Amino acid sequence: MMSSIRHYVSVASCFARLAVQRQLEYPLFLFSWLLMIPIQYFSGIWMLKIIVDRFQPLNGWDFPELTFLYGLGLVSHGIFVVFFINTWHIDNMVINGGFDRLLLRPMNVFFQLVASYVNFIGLIDCIPGIIIFLYGCQLVGFEWSFFNIVKLILVLLGGVLLRAALFISLGTIAFWTKRNGSMVGFALSMLERATMYPLSIYPFALQALFTFLIPIGFISFYPAVEFLGKDSSMVHLPLSLALWTPIIGLVCFLLAHWIFRIGMKNYESAGS
Amino acid sequence: MLQAYWYITKMRMLTNLAYRFEVFTSVGTNLIIMLASVFLWQTAYGGGIGNVQSLSLQDLTTYTILSIILSSMFVCDVQNTIYYKIREGQIVTDFYRPIPLLACYLADDIGGSLSSLANKALPLIVFASLFFGIPWPSFLLNFLLFIPSCLLSYGILWLLSALVGLIAFWVMELGNMGMVKDSIVRVLSGSIVPLWFFPESVQTVSKFLPFQYTYQTPLGIYIGNIGTKEALTALAVQAVWVILLFLLLAAGWKRTKKKTLIQGG
Repeated sequence: MMSSIRHYVSVASCFARLAVQRQLEYPLFLFSWLLMIPIQYFSGIWMLKIIVDRFQPLNGWDFPELTFLYGLGLVSHGIFVVFFINTWHIDNMVINGGFDRLLLRPMNVFFQLVASYVNFIGLIDCIPGIIIFLYGCQLVGFEWSFFNIVKLILVLLGGVLLRAALFISLGTIAFWTKRNGSMVGFALSMLERATMYPLSIYPFALQALFTFLIPIGFISFYPAVEFLGKDSSMVHLPLSLALWTPIIGLVCFLLAHWIFRIGMKNYESAGS
Repeated sequence: MLQAYWYITKMRMLTNLAYRFEVFTSVGTNLIIMLASVFLWQTAYGGGIGNVQSLSLQDLTTYTILSIILSSMFVCDVQNTIYYKIREGQIVTDFYRPIPLLACYLADDIGGSLSSLANKALPLIVFASLFFGIPWPSFLLNFLLFIPSCLLSYGILWLLSALVGLIAFWVMELGNMGMVKDSIVRVLSGSIVPLWFFPESVQTVSKFLPFQYTYQTPLGIYIGNIGTKEALTALAVQAVWVILLFLLLAAGWKRTKKKTLIQGG
């Protein structure tokens, strides 16, 4: 058992080294991401500020609270893209036969899929995320108590697992259909709008959808509701709302893993 | 001569119309962005706030819907086309053609835009009308001015894209510089939040940049926030930008052609 874990760790670190080297090969490539990601997200929060300044707080969410929420959603997105970006490319691997290679190796396929590409560039997503989140914490006067920090870590963990579960399930579609088109872009814009803006600005049906059916409201909205002491009319759960995030995250992740294994049984190589 | 371009345009349209699944997801993605943006504006206007900067909720809803539809139609793949062709070395075969290279790529993108009009813009208009009512223009005259304004917008966007593409000849690996440009355009063109809401200083600076003339001008004309007389001035400014950027591209292209280096095969 112990030696098997050690083996997995050594393979993962070897994969990671290769992935980082590959991404550092073209400096301008890295540089363009370094420009684009911050522009994109800082302008996003700037847009919110302009709207709140010219109009009014969004459903009771003023700018500091919006910044906190936006930052929380963005940090969990950043961590996700560092570790799980390969779940976006399952359909590519199915089509060009890259998936066959994983099946031939004497190792857990799911582990290989995730570990084979550590997205070093994804760290760039974390930079504006952390800056905006810390700024939001500052603005709302977030209390950095031990309990709050533990909760925050659990929330981030749960959020990453929820995102991973969603993309694994979407990727699994490719085992049956060979391709899932640009479902990734679709899911990404859905996630962005549901995790970085207050869910309560949407109609009741959408709130219900993102709470019960596709529970991405738990990535950042419900935790933020609790951290900021806001009122959420949608759900009243026992325990704290924030602590439900890691639980739901884990359940969804295991569910997605199970779907993935069913899909794999169905997999037939695209040939060539 | 024109037949050659039309052939390229037609081929691109046929290719694009053949991919169905991609169209579904693209329409779905744009629909999500559209719904989310409109709900955001509805919340911002909630609780009986009247007009802000002389714009009503209905104006902004129309503005947002049309902005997303335009962005799905303005196909400017030229930056990526040049980038990939250089990386793969295929640019050589395109240079062999007896017609100008950039004009070919323009014909290609126009084909993309026309097919998007059919399979992306139309479904989006239908969905938007179902959800929020038909986004009528304020007056018929505004609609008549909106069309040439859109064409000029496309000209500005395409020329900007081609200029970014030229950089690829000099640096070989362009990375995502095109996306960097796109994210700047998205903000400063007023495609997400109209520039009328921005701080005064930003508005002043942006008057001297080409970006606001790509989305805000046609959309402002459409919703009637830009009056007829101002609209004609705006059209003239757009035309000046098209000419300026065209001259810049022509000058850049002349130098760049000599610089072409073919990387492997």
